Amino acid sequence: MTLRRRQLLQALGLGAITATIGRDPAARADEPASPPRIVFYVQPHGHIPNAWNMDIPGGPTDRFAERRLADLGQDDLSPTLRPFYPFRDRLLAIEGLSHTSVLADIAEVMRSGGDLNNHQIGVAGALTANRALQRAGTYCTGGARSLDQELAVRLVAPGRFDSRVYGFDYVPNSVASPFSYLGPGKATPMVSDPKVAFADLLGYTASPTAPKNRDELLRSLRPSVLDLAGREYEILARQLGAEGREKLAQHRGLVRELESSLGAIGRSPKCDATFDDSGHAVRQFMRLVRLAFACDLTRIVTIAAPVPECSELGYPAEATFHAYAHASIAGGTSCGAMYSPLAERAMTDLDAWHAGHVAYLLEQLDAVSEGSGTLLDHTVVVWITELATPTHQHHDVCTLLAGGCHGFFDTGRYVRYPRTIPNPLPGAPLTGPPHNRLYVSLMQAMGQTDTSFGMTDAVAANGAPISLRGALTELHHGA
Amino acid sequence: MERTRLSYRRGAAKLRATALRRVASLVAISLLGAACAGCATGDAARPGEGIAPRGVAPPEAEPAVGPAPLRRLSNDEYRNALRDLFPAVDVALPPLPADIAVAGFENAAEAQEPSDVRIARYEAIANLYAEAATIDAAAVTALVGCADWSTPEHATSCAAQFVGVTGGRVFRRPLTDAERDRFMQRFQEWRSAVDFEGAVRLTLSAMLQSPQFLYRVEPPPRSQPAGSVVPVDAYAMASRLSFFLWESVPDDALLQAALRDELRTDDQVRDQVDRMLRDARARRALWSFHRQWLALDRVLGDEHAVRTPEVDAAWGPTSQASATEESQRFVQNVLAQGGTFHDLMVSRRAWVNGEMARIYGLAAPKDPSAWTEVVLPGAERAGLVTRAAFLAGFSHRGATSPPVRGNGIELRLLCQLPVSPPPGADLSQPKPAPDQGPQTNRMLFEARTKPAACQACHAALNGFGFGLENYDAAGHYRSSEDGLPIDASGSIQGTDVDGPFVGGIELSSALGRSEVVHRCAVERWVRYALGRAPVVAELPTVASLTDAFTKSDGDVRALLRGIATSPTFRMRRVGEE
Repeated sequence: MTLRRRQLLQALGLGAITATIGRDPAARADEPASPPRIVFYVQPHGHIPNAWNMDIPGGPTDRFAERRLADLGQDDLSPTLRPFYPFRDRLLAIEGLSHTSVLADIAEVMRSGGDLNNHQIGVAGALTANRALQRAGTYCTGGARSLDQELAVRLVAPGRFDSRVYGFDYVPNSVASPFSYLGPGKATPMVSDPKVAFADLLGYTASPTAPKNRDELLRSLRPSVLDLAGREYEILARQLGAEGREKLAQHRGLVRELESSLGAIGRSPKCDATFDDSGHAVRQFMRLVRLAFACDLTRIVTIAAPVPECSELGYPAEATFHAYAHASIAGGTSCGAMYSPLAERAMTDLDAWHAGHVAYLLEQLDAVSEGSGTLLDHTVVVWITELATPTHQHHDVCTLLAGGCHGFFDTGRYVRYPRTIPNPLPGAPLTGPPHNRLYVSLMQAMGQTDTSFGMTDAVAANGAPISLRGALTELHHGA
Repeated sequence: MERTRLSYRRGAAKLRATALRRVASLVAISLLGAACAGCATGDAARPGEGIAPRGVAPPEAEPAVGPAPLRRLSNDEYRNALRDLFPAVDVALPPLPADIAVAGFENAAEAQEPSDVRIARYEAIANLYAEAATIDAAAVTALVGCADWSTPEHATSCAAQFVGVTGGRVFRRPLTDAERDRFMQRFQEWRSAVDFEGAVRLTLSAMLQSPQFLYRVEPPPRSQPAGSVVPVDAYAMASRLSFFLWESVPDDALLQAALRDELRTDDQVRDQVDRMLRDARARRALWSFHRQWLALDRVLGDEHAVRTPEVDAAWGPTSQASATEESQRFVQNVLAQGGTFHDLMVSRRAWVNGEMARIYGLAAPKDPSAWTEVVLPGAERAGLVTRAAFLAGFSHRGATSPPVRGNGIELRLLCQLPVSPPPGADLSQPKPAPDQGPQTNRMLFEARTKPAACQACHAALNGFGFGLENYDAAGHYRSSEDGLPIDASGSIQGTDVDGPFVGGIELSSALGRSEVVHRCAVERWVRYALGRAPVVAELPTVASLTDAFTKSDGDVRALLRGIATSPTFRMRRVGEE
């Protein structure tokens, strides 16, 4: 959003260097020809580590360990990662991160009260890496701007959507619980119908010629209509107090952005503006990501993945994946012995189902050449979950990066972080590094210089300080 | 994790104690409210002014008025407004991004963040409406109020009439001279670039994207010092009333009343409220409030699209829609015909179609698509809590969940946030062990939630939910399950009507006379009216409204009159826009 970005840059004293965003030094004077891009695929319910994790032969468990994927056969990959075999040189599979900010938040809510549902707090903290917003009389929700929207604010420009959020309502309890937030308690609107999403993207593209008839003439005056409306926001905002003025100023900024964007986009040969409504809606969205990136209509997409009906994966119609989740890991729950091999199989199949979708996205991005590589080479696809495991734990997270983002990440590896950090929850296991630190790495991959994101410090149950700052440099190229 | 569980249990106990204290404080608040009765007129004397200790707000010093954040129209308000402004237009609209509900309510100002998707939708919808409203010469004539724009003079005079009249209806107040000039100037430019009809279309589109339409801007009185509490401007009051009682724009009568400054006295406001509640548009708000408060549309969710064959093989989208519509007709008809909140809890009146007759075990009607009034069997059902929208909406597809239903009652009817299950709690549907023999759902849940750590919350949750076990996951009435008789004995905890009961009718009857439930209803109505939660300064208002609401058995009309005439609804603090 241009307005917020300008305000932010002014606040940081950075107004003059906006054009240097991007990692290509040659592009300082202008936008890079192949800008960095990012896709978040947020899968509900966590992963089954037994199906996701890989061995690192001889690798230490008390320090960082890695295994190169290049020489492995398809069957050497873990069941969940197997669909990514064709892209193994551009994968970075990460074992052992922890949703430390979520654990710290749960510990704090235990002390101070509020909605203690660790699933709800997990959803709120998945992309914000910060404390949830507690509200009287209702469930908690995202308490801060999420990473995708922070990047959106930083990287937007006229003629381009700051971000796109696609996907499906996720209802872990009784209310739809979003992952992406513009700010505390303010979910980013999500488009759930691929046809509507396509129409949105095309709304920015220009008619190639001058208006030929009255209808086209009227359409060509859309920016002028927005200009009139936009002025009303400016004038009315002046009459209001700070809160109202801010609200109208935000609205005005978006109206101006739409105005300046209409018709600003031409169609390049690689920008294939057609819509294919075949296949699962998730895959339709994946093709729209390809379109949006190829046409540079946005550089940031978040996909809130659906939870399919059990019958879609061959399980009984009356079953639910949420119920399977709780019983999917032996010894994984605290409320009785309820492990069921069927539940583990169901959740493993669910992982594979999502893996198929993510691999399809990689195929789509790899099919469009750009510069000396493909869109995929200039993108980082981030596959994350709001719970670490389906049994609702928040340590031992499985994370996949794909694409490498201009070589920022050292891909082609399966890496494992040691679990040496004390847990904010009493009696809970040691953890690996906070997922905040992965987000710092992602911000740096997208050209930012931040050294922290979200929560910065927490306290372990034993009183020891936990730092959530700094990038995970082991993941970076040349680290 | 043992220590974790212990802390968790302490948290639950703390919450329960808080709930009980809340009940006790009701009495104190009621007394405060009685002492403050004079505040309702806004003319209370100010004996304490200037002598209150620093940092302590003198309660009787000034009217109890909370903040008035700038409110955007909710999606329902926006769509209703377009429908009421352009009744002849019927176009399919692209979906708006969902409003973010706070405590169930979709009009919460705090959650209204504009976004690029929303702005793009507003633009698309404004263009669709503007095009449809100017589709041919007859439509343009009807819209602008004159038929001849063939000469520049006529065109200018028609344009001025259009900008003034249509603009006044869209903006819900007369345009200022400056606004008139801005819209006229652009109109003339567009008329030159396209034609008169095109200029009408583009101008209308701009009006529908302007803040004067999309937001409820209340111009501050310039002459008053910052911080003083003053009545809102008459047109703002017209909008406050219309969005509260109709979820839409004011009609011409209300705008006329504003023009004549006839929305000022208690009697004037009461007369308008009574007139508006007699209007069919009030049915929208009466339903919308109860839908959001009690989650009566929850059954429309995808997770309720099917029921297992053992529960109801015939259940489908028609069942979901019918269950919601049955509750909608019940709420609207009962309240529109002078009924009370107590009636909503205990009345056996129902309006059913073929599908609802099937679910409720009534004789099949001749025309299954027609809705007819019936009286439900006396031993089986009463008000909203015993209807399918609530019962199926708070169930799983293959079985009931007493804790989920209990959660629904605590969260919605008691305004108490239940403590969430601890990490790792088993939330799956309990099933009998292979060698266990038949078990009722109640028996399975009793066993599952038996540990003391679970009982801290489940004693209350199950107490409500077990009492509703006569209704299966589709809302059918049942007296046995798997060959075993249903035990529908329950207990109410955490209220002023605590005690044992048997079945949904007794539960409904007890909740229908509970002051906690009445206070919850009032707090939610105030929240709905103001677009935010009541603040501390407004608690006396909430308490006195609760007192009257409880004593009247839940007279909703009187409550709405009370809210509309309360200082916080009619006044605002200068400088807090």
